[in-house]
Amino acid sequence: MSPQRRTRSGVAAAITAGLAVSLAACSAPASADDQSYANWDEVVAAAEGQTVKLWMWGGDEQGNAYVNNVLAPAAAELGVTLEQVPIADTPDALNRILSEVQSGTTDGEVDLVWVNGNNFGTGKEAGAWECGWTDLLPNMALTDPADPLLLDDFGTPVDGCEAPWHKAQFTFVYNSDTVTDVPTSLDELLDWARANPGRFTYPAPPDFTGSVFVREVLYSVSGGYENVPLAFSQADFDALTPALYDELQDLEASLWRGGETYPQDSNELNQLFADGEVDFTMTYGPATLTELVANGTYPAGTKVLTFDEGTVGNASFLGLASTSGSKAGAMVVANLALSAEQQAAKAEPSVWGQFTVLDLDQLSDEQRALFEALPESPVVPSYDVLSENANPELAAAWVGPIDEAWRQLVLTQ
Amino acid sequence: MSLALVSPALLVAGFVVIGGIGMSLVQSLGLLPLVGVPSLSLDAYLANGEELLIGTGLSLAIATASTVLSCIIGLTAAVVITQGRRTGRIVAAVSALTIPIPHLIGAAAIGLLISDAGIIPRMLGIPGTEWPDLVGGPWWVAVVLEYTWKESAFVALVVAAVLATRVARYDETAALLGAGRARRLRHVVIPLARPAVIVSAIIIFVYTFGSYEVAWLLGRPYPEPLPVLAFRLFDSITLTSRPEAAAVAVVTTAISLAVVAIGMACLRRTPLWK
Amino acid sequence: MAMLIPYGQRVTPDDPTVSSRGLMRPRPGGRTLRLTIAALLTVWFALPLVPLLLWFFADRWSAPAVLPTEWGFDGVTSALANGAVPAFGQSLALALVVAAIATPLGAMAARALTRGAVPFPRLVSGILLAPLALPAFVAVMGLTIVLLRARVPGVVGVVILLVAAALPYTVYTMRVAYAAHDLAYEDEARTLGASRWNVLWRVHLPLVAPGLARAAFLAFLVGWSDYVITVLVGGGTIVTLPLLVASFAAGVGNDAVVAVLSVSAIVPPLVLLLALGRFGRRYPTASYLHGPTASQSPKGSP
Repeated sequence: MSPQRRTRSGVAAAITAGLAVSLAACSAPASADDQSYANWDEVVAAAEGQTVKLWMWGGDEQGNAYVNNVLAPAAAELGVTLEQVPIADTPDALNRILSEVQSGTTDGEVDLVWVNGNNFGTGKEAGAWECGWTDLLPNMALTDPADPLLLDDFGTPVDGCEAPWHKAQFTFVYNSDTVTDVPTSLDELLDWARANPGRFTYPAPPDFTGSVFVREVLYSVSGGYENVPLAFSQADFDALTPALYDELQDLEASLWRGGETYPQDSNELNQLFADGEVDFTMTYGPATLTELVANGTYPAGTKVLTFDEGTVGNASFLGLASTSGSKAGAMVVANLALSAEQQAAKAEPSVWGQFTVLDLDQLSDEQRALFEALPESPVVPSYDVLSENANPELAAAWVGPIDEAWRQLVLTQ
Repeated sequence: MSLALVSPALLVAGFVVIGGIGMSLVQSLGLLPLVGVPSLSLDAYLANGEELLIGTGLSLAIATASTVLSCIIGLTAAVVITQGRRTGRIVAAVSALTIPIPHLIGAAAIGLLISDAGIIPRMLGIPGTEWPDLVGGPWWVAVVLEYTWKESAFVALVVAAVLATRVARYDETAALLGAGRARRLRHVVIPLARPAVIVSAIIIFVYTFGSYEVAWLLGRPYPEPLPVLAFRLFDSITLTSRPEAAAVAVVTTAISLAVVAIGMACLRRTPLWK
Repeated sequence: MAMLIPYGQRVTPDDPTVSSRGLMRPRPGGRTLRLTIAALLTVWFALPLVPLLLWFFADRWSAPAVLPTEWGFDGVTSALANGAVPAFGQSLALALVVAAIATPLGAMAARALTRGAVPFPRLVSGILLAPLALPAFVAVMGLTIVLLRARVPGVVGVVILLVAAALPYTVYTMRVAYAAHDLAYEDEARTLGASRWNVLWRVHLPLVAPGLARAAFLAFLVGWSDYVITVLVGGGTIVTLPLLVASFAAGVGNDAVVAVLSVSAIVPPLVLLLALGRFGRRYPTASYLHGPTASQSPKGSP
């Protein structure tokens, strides 16, 4: 072979290397790394020295501060390094785990994920979560074993694939300085929107908050959540949703900017509310309202709206990635996060103000006192008030079709 | 020897370019599903056919508007930079200030400035309902403005560098020969700047065509530019939508490459290109 | 990622000889027009920075106030409490690593291409410039799976993709530098008995140093300002400033923190840019490489 030919074939090799390496890499087999533990002591022993990455939505300063300044130091005392990975959107974490599942990774980048609903359901279906581990956690005894919010996550059985972390209540928020005739039901809210054109809107699904709002309207136009089967079926979808989309199409002209566009996510809606462009916003995390009013982001007249028919409530969880290489450490963190001390600290409005998943009846007097000492918020009523008549969440299988049809029938029309 | 020098760079670039396009293609054809059995099909391209078409049109429009505006403003700035004394230095300094700002931050800044409750409408005392829908509006004004703001500085610096080294001599000769200001601009400055402007235009067009953050932050939910559509599908919780995201990626790449090819053809036809 | 700095010596050739040429002296009418255009351009480039600066010092700024209602440094405190310092460090490390790899790779490739000994030179330069034409999200979506299966750690994956993204800039910059580079100096040094190593360190590298500095700066910027690649390929192993900015920008009421993080993301490249200007101006050998208008003399003295 002449030198000239050698260089040429060298170039060819260099050029094709990209594709060749890519394709060869795809056949790399996964080495199984089984981490199973018989009892809690084994978990604690194995957790020593592990580093746990907690992937969570990072747009909430208080949440970041709680994890980094309260939860992480407590985990460090147990010999586990907890690192928060702030992400813009929870599906980022799920996508990462699913890529790792696909590639057979057993020491992935994701250990714990703050998750619920559709992300949990989809992940469970695709094997993203480690399951059956929450029974090991001693602090699970502090929760109510029959609590429906902790048994099913948007209609998907939890099956020990995620440990409870917070409870949340979908909450409508209004500016009492500008809204004088306060609606007391979702139906009245939509009437208010029609009477005050341009002062109400909702985020475009598939945004999480916008998606919940559309399901709330589905309950409302169906005459209550009792009339919507929680499990998905195409027949129910075809029977129930025409009324939903008729209502939303009819509402459109009365929305912000005449409904010709929508906020892209809940953050944009919150910004519109903060800027006084609209008079209502909605959130699954009412706990942050206190701080947002106190620091002047939201108007001083910000109040929480409660509906006669109630609103959707749910719990959110810490999911343990099936591709995690630090499962013991992750379990220790999940157990720590469930302790009365951490749950009470987290419920403090100045810390994060997330509602506890613990059942106060299961706690010792000492532990209960931690919760009784919590201050009352001037903006947000207590969880008991908020969660009155709480509506269950529809099964995750409903969410995709409802969101997709909304894009087809409302957004693009 | 030469091959040894060039091959490390070639390997990295080749891996990313050929691997990136190749693997997107493989995924878009359904050969690498997240779950399930691989099977060759064009479903991913057909699933969002209409949105793909609308997105292509929108992305082309945004990229064209941003590129044209950036080149006009950037060329003007370059002329001011090379011909003015103190004024030129000030313009050079503020445009240089713009260069290292990440687009993500530029988008946040533009949003704070010209959204319905932004600083400009507040200062002018215009209520949000009367202020034009620049952010999230039907004409994607804020997105184009952000791209134009950043990229006009880019054009200014590239073109100013070329003019600085070449224009003075020719310009003086032309002036000696009696050419007026307008004629010198038309017959000396612009032809000298043309290759640099074309190269910048290609880079800007391809960047704005395939960039995500700005279009997402300052855009609206419908219609979606191609990168935003791709990201929504990629991040979708529906497991089947990943090949669809890859299909959007393949279409975006094909158009980008075509634009580069056209741009290079234009470049070869300019007399000063060596 | 489209960004570039000029290849000429300075951005502003305010060479006194240019302006003193009688024929080129501006006329009054043209002067007003030029001043107006210059003023408009200054506003155009500087205006978007105003909200960031205002928010930087705003403790409280409720709509519809035109200016912040309370001034202070809460944003700074909050940014510091939320990992701004580690994020700054990681951004810096990432950008430096990208620059440290992409610059020599680009220089080597440019040298080989300039000397014309590379087979299929057009194809090779095409591939080296191709990352410019490849949208970042395409590379990411295609390669995430590959990198995962090849068990490439997240950080390494990010560096590989960012180096590829930086290569077009470094290769191009260095081709410009080598095009003006006179090989005769190296030959002469060799003839005078200098070793290969000595020629590289004492003659070759000093001659192309300004080009190397510019190339390194561009590669630094690529690593410094990336978002998409770091978030999706890095998988959270590194949290850089743009990631922190995006994450805060995704929540309401964080404008002050976003402004503080943004300003801290703008300052280091600006410092580098200034340093680069001074370096280019002071470096003695640089005078071989530039056109006649690029004055080497310190300001004021001809």
